[in-house]
Amino acid sequence: MILWVMPDSGAKTMEDYATLVALFKKENPSVDVSVRVFTRNVLWRRIFTLKDPTHEEMPDLIQIPHYWTALIVKAGIAENLSQLDPGLSLTDCLVPLKENCYRPGTKDMYSYPWWFDLSALHYRADHLKLVSEHPEEDLKTWEGLLAICQALREKFSDVSGYYPMQNSDWRGSLSMRSALPCMWSRGLNFFTEDRAATLVGSKEFKEALHDYITLALKEYMPILRERGSLGTIVSGKASMMISRKQGISMFSARRMRVRTLPVPAAGDKSAAYLSGMNWFISTFSQHKKEALQFVKFCARPDIQLRYARMIEAFPAFEEAFEPFISSSPRLQVYREILSSAHTLPNMVIMGTVMEILKRVLAVCATQIVENRFTQASLDRELDMTAKEIEFLLSIYKG
Amino acid sequence: MFDKKSYTLYKFHKQINQSFQNKRELLECALPVLRDLFKLDRVYFFDWQQERAILSLKMMCKKEYCMDMQEDISVANEPAFLRQLLQQGVAETTDLSYPALYVLIRWLRPTMELKAGEVHSFMREKVGVLRLERFRKNRVFTNAEIDLIKDLGQEISHNLHNTEIDQAKNQRLSVSTALNDLSTIFASSLRLNDGLELILKGVQRYFHFDRVHLYLTNSEGTRIKSVLGVDISGQVTQESGDSLREEEKQILKEVFDSSATYRAKRSVIYLPLKLQRTKVGFLTFDNILSRRKIGYLDFISLQQFASQMALTIDNARLFERVQELSNYDELTKLPVRRYFNEKFAEEIYRSKRFGLSLALIIMDIDWFKQINDKHGHQIGDWALKAVSKIIRSSLRQTDVPCRFGGDEMMIMLPRTNSEEAKVIARRLQERIREIVLPDRNAVEPEHLSISQGISSFPSDATTAEELLEKADQALYVVKQRGRGDFAVYREVVDQVQQTDTKDADEKPAPQK
Repeated sequence: MILWVMPDSGAKTMEDYATLVALFKKENPSVDVSVRVFTRNVLWRRIFTLKDPTHEEMPDLIQIPHYWTALIVKAGIAENLSQLDPGLSLTDCLVPLKENCYRPGTKDMYSYPWWFDLSALHYRADHLKLVSEHPEEDLKTWEGLLAICQALREKFSDVSGYYPMQNSDWRGSLSMRSALPCMWSRGLNFFTEDRAATLVGSKEFKEALHDYITLALKEYMPILRERGSLGTIVSGKASMMISRKQGISMFSARRMRVRTLPVPAAGDKSAAYLSGMNWFISTFSQHKKEALQFVKFCARPDIQLRYARMIEAFPAFEEAFEPFISSSPRLQVYREILSSAHTLPNMVIMGTVMEILKRVLAVCATQIVENRFTQASLDRELDMTAKEIEFLLSIYKG
Repeated sequence: MFDKKSYTLYKFHKQINQSFQNKRELLECALPVLRDLFKLDRVYFFDWQQERAILSLKMMCKKEYCMDMQEDISVANEPAFLRQLLQQGVAETTDLSYPALYVLIRWLRPTMELKAGEVHSFMREKVGVLRLERFRKNRVFTNAEIDLIKDLGQEISHNLHNTEIDQAKNQRLSVSTALNDLSTIFASSLRLNDGLELILKGVQRYFHFDRVHLYLTNSEGTRIKSVLGVDISGQVTQESGDSLREEEKQILKEVFDSSATYRAKRSVIYLPLKLQRTKVGFLTFDNILSRRKIGYLDFISLQQFASQMALTIDNARLFERVQELSNYDELTKLPVRRYFNEKFAEEIYRSKRFGLSLALIIMDIDWFKQINDKHGHQIGDWALKAVSKIIRSSLRQTDVPCRFGGDEMMIMLPRTNSEEAKVIARRLQERIREIVLPDRNAVEPEHLSISQGISSFPSDATTAEELLEKADQALYVVKQRGRGDFAVYREVVDQVQQTDTKDADEKPAPQK
């Protein structure tokens, strides 16, 4: 059986999967499991060529961001899990994760939860103490965050290469995932309620994106620079970061005092991005039974708990989530964050929309670096993007 | 004797001097060798985009495995670093808290470019960059190591050059094979529509397109007649040109005004299908959902294939037209017996398979021989034309009439029972009775009439031959009764059995 997975557990993906597979093999010695690691971009491309019968290696089980479920159903590459095992249930699964397992508008399950993560603001307590007496209060709003950034920059003006915010994006670029809380915080969404039109071209959406871009425009956060990669908080050249929980694992490994807060509210209330990872079984798999066995194994509370601890993310099922979050007082803040969390809608075009917006932000990042960025150019890009999305909606409904 | 450096180079050469399918495979082999040789924590391979000063990460090799990557890093704000890298071929970064060395790699690769609608292929210098990292601060790269890394970089360059040429050749070969296979499939399919479906599905599969559409137009290219498509799930869709959205119809002018074109950042291709002045339609291939770019090689291959496809579609249309002509009787414009028999057999099969009813009417024009004798064959032909015109206009689209021979005609009525068949027979009887023979000398108008026999499936018979026989027997009863009427076999079955074999044609001439 071949698994295609994403490198979401930092530097140790293969090690972690080796541990997991060893546990699985203890119970299922006759099942051979091989793991292949692909980045999201590569996996995205491969999803569309999976049907090719000449494909060198046919995977059996594939890890995907959960909002791709509608897409894999539409592409006809995912097995209907409800049919494969009518006993498979989502009863114990955390509520926000459920919808993204189904074929839209039905109760037919095509993907199954694996783990999830939440975005939050992380800060170095020792740095923030120098500019704020009550960081929890000052960092409640986006304006508060910008004010703290300014104060930090003044405080650390003598540290060469210092930025108040560390860029959590691996490439050091502008990331849509980091911009999402600004959108949701304003009560906005990508689509209208009936999902028939997009709001990407709206004034509010443009403002929300601008909130996030301000961090780069005011040079509070480095972009497209090698020094923007992970390590700057550790080296003392940054003080805060908006990222998933996994992003801060290296700080705890170095015993740094990094605290966590909800992402500052750009609008009325704070919002977090819940990114879920699911499994799906390929329609073309010759080992569907074994793949299903592995999916069920991964959903077991003991395995959920163990793997979540290994990769520093959250278990997807209540029975493991509760003991996980109760295990440390520092994790309590995530209860509040989870209550305000949003997921990307489970729509066929959602992955494409994220790709398009990623391109828009990449253009913005280059313009900022080359000092050519204007709000008008961003607005123009977003207007064009809205038209592109409307066109996609007209082709791919649901 | 080799010195240590030469030996390392020799070993490296042996390890990576293989035949690789593509650049990815080569890097998957070379990067781990570098990692182990220099005890590195990570090795990266980037494509260098000089005009934008961007390093596009393609692959990363960690302790445990290599991974395809697709990320951009700008070095526009680092002029000193850039200068050093471009001039000396190596540069060390000072930004990170651990040693990282960049090595420039140059090689020639086959490239394609689109200029004024034409694709040109040529060799272009490609520049790549290797980044070697050691996570421990004190493990800096020595000068000897840097020299050796530069030499190994040369070796990688050489292999990249060979691999890319091989890859381009293989790619061309596989595209030609694919298109050849598709042409064979197309040529061997008997029906145009079946062939087109196979072609579209094949093109989608070979080239990995999200969607493929074929728009068939009229020969002036002013109207879309129909659209055949294959969607992302491989489902075939068919639409009439009239049901298309306005913007889709507008593509028409744009497509025929230009040659083949790329659209939407190379994720869509439009290919017109034309033969000199005749326009056949156009093809669209899109990767709108996956946002993958369509390569130039695919573009030109499909362009060549499109001309072949246009010719094949045009030939197939011509063939269908000829076949259509051979299936129809020239005088009455009704299908001929051979065509009718084929359809009849198909319909009987379908009715049996799905438990449907089916009726058959067999008819002839009353006193047709006498009409010919009295008025001449010209008027006889006129009568046949007039009757068949009524038949054609009185039936449903699914009904199949035919001229069976002489003045004998048949009508197959799918999904129809004998009661419904009687309604149709009555309608025909009434309408045909209104036809008056064109005879200037006639004192009174001479009206035409028909006799009809009806049988139905499955109540009267279950095979084509039996149904024909039963309908014919019912017709015989009508003729015996004096003509100008119709009868259903089941209702006259007793009379059929009692009937003697007297020829009904011996009876008196038609009524005036």
